[in-house]
Amino acid sequence: MVGYAFVAPALAFLLVFAFLPFVFTIYVSLHEWNMLTPVSSMPFRGLENYRYLLLDDPLFRQTFANTVTFAVGNVALSTLLGLTVALVLNSRVRFRTFWRAIYFLPYVTSSVAIAIVWANIYNANYGLLNGILEMLGLPPQRFLASVSQAMPSVIAVAVWHSVGYFMILFLAGLQNIPGELYDAAKVDGAGDWQRFRFITLPLLKPTMLFVVVVNTLISLQVFDLVFILTNGGPVNATNTLVLYMYRTAFEFTRMGRATAMAILLFLITFAITLVQLHLLRERR
Amino acid sequence: MSRRRLTAAGFLLALLKYGALSAGAIAMMLPFIWMVLSSLMAPHEIMARPLVWFPARPQFENYARLAEVVPLGRMYLNSLIVTIAITAGVLFTSSLAGYGFAKFRFPGRDTLFISVLATMMIPFFVVLIPVFYLVSRLGWVDSYLGLIVPNLVTAFGIFFMRQYILSLPDELLDAARIDGASEFGIYWRIVLPLCGPALGALAILAFVYHWNSFLWPLIVVRSPELWTIPLGLNSLLIYASSPEVVNLQMAGATLAIIPVLIVFVLLQRWFVQGISLTGLKG
Repeated sequence: MVGYAFVAPALAFLLVFAFLPFVFTIYVSLHEWNMLTPVSSMPFRGLENYRYLLLDDPLFRQTFANTVTFAVGNVALSTLLGLTVALVLNSRVRFRTFWRAIYFLPYVTSSVAIAIVWANIYNANYGLLNGILEMLGLPPQRFLASVSQAMPSVIAVAVWHSVGYFMILFLAGLQNIPGELYDAAKVDGAGDWQRFRFITLPLLKPTMLFVVVVNTLISLQVFDLVFILTNGGPVNATNTLVLYMYRTAFEFTRMGRATAMAILLFLITFAITLVQLHLLRERR
Repeated sequence: MSRRRLTAAGFLLALLKYGALSAGAIAMMLPFIWMVLSSLMAPHEIMARPLVWFPARPQFENYARLAEVVPLGRMYLNSLIVTIAITAGVLFTSSLAGYGFAKFRFPGRDTLFISVLATMMIPFFVVLIPVFYLVSRLGWVDSYLGLIVPNLVTAFGIFFMRQYILSLPDELLDAARIDGASEFGIYWRIVLPLCGPALGALAILAFVYHWNSFLWPLIVVRSPELWTIPLGLNSLLIYASSPEVVNLQMAGATLAIIPVLIVFVLLQRWFVQGISLTGLKG
């Protein structure tokens, strides 16, 4: 019975700050609410908020598409680069700790601070990047101020910020592969590529799965970077779901719509988590 | 002959490897270097074309001007108070509940643990609006309580500590029980000290996460007296359009980033260990 006493405080807390709010989010998403009127008297709207978002709101569709674009770009690039750096650092290399520290460093810094730095680096008039382009004799670019370049520019910052995190996860995965396997393969006459293809890649699969899933879940929730870098602009080219939800809730105080957005995005993250659990179970 | 060819190939490979590593490292560091350099420049140097890399005379007064625009000391203090309180709270609640789930048998334990894991699947943005409503009804908007309390328990922390405590030998706890130690005493004096590595990893993850946290403080804080560092930096963006404040923004970013860098260099091993642990457990 003592066990209850140890787990009770945390459980009560999770009930109040996670589980009940989750239920309340579903409840509000079926209503119209501005957070000022009493909870008991919010008018019921059924699935109207969902219908509006999915059928009548082009901005929701656009932010959804932007979020997917961001997630796909960021996951593909940061996973690939993280794996590449990890493979290089896992080979025979001098000053490994030094390199690892440099690649990992951006990850521990505040996303708001680095977004401010990058916003200035990207600035079309006085930014560092256009200065370097000029030095190389290349034409200046508009970067964040351009509808077509803004999203790739934001993705580049996200990749720069997070690549070290995935590098560390891959390094941990690589170091978990028993060295004897490589020795045995060497004795059997396997070359570098064969050892990579038939030992490293298959044994790295669980790490790969974890990295891709975690990366996708984080990317779908991007807020800080777009809020600071572009505030969703120009003309919503980088507006994302969580940013749109934030504005709908705290600028336009339409809690019904905002919570419906939250639930729609949650369904996606939930589906991804279920797929991951399924794949992990298959493995065992 | 073949030996010489091999070393030539090996040399080329090494050149390629270190060349690529260095190019990547420059790309990773250049934004930080530029941040520090331009924080010391005059506006006309930042705008200069062709590019100027070093200020003619370092403008340390940019930092003094920054301190006039935002309450720097207050921001540091607030970030420290909030982050330390949350980290301490997370360590305590996670180890307490993790111990309960790992070393006790009671009816419904597994169901309860699975429901803890289930809340891990609820991202924060999903409960943002209800939690804000709750906090505002409690009268905690624009207060330390509002910043701290909603973050004091994490399902991940409980899971993480339980996995670690499972590996501690039961005999140790039984021996303490025979010696007449109280249940809380066993947790406090025997379990906690043995959890050092796990607590260290969790502390670093929680500290960095909350030190950099932005969305929740943005919603819950109104007055500048309660700004954390990210909120203070955000306030500098109001002047984003004018190049005269670029050096102020860069000075602010430098002051926000440098302490984290120092902590990181000192504790790199722990950072890496903590992150690796989360990856392997996940």
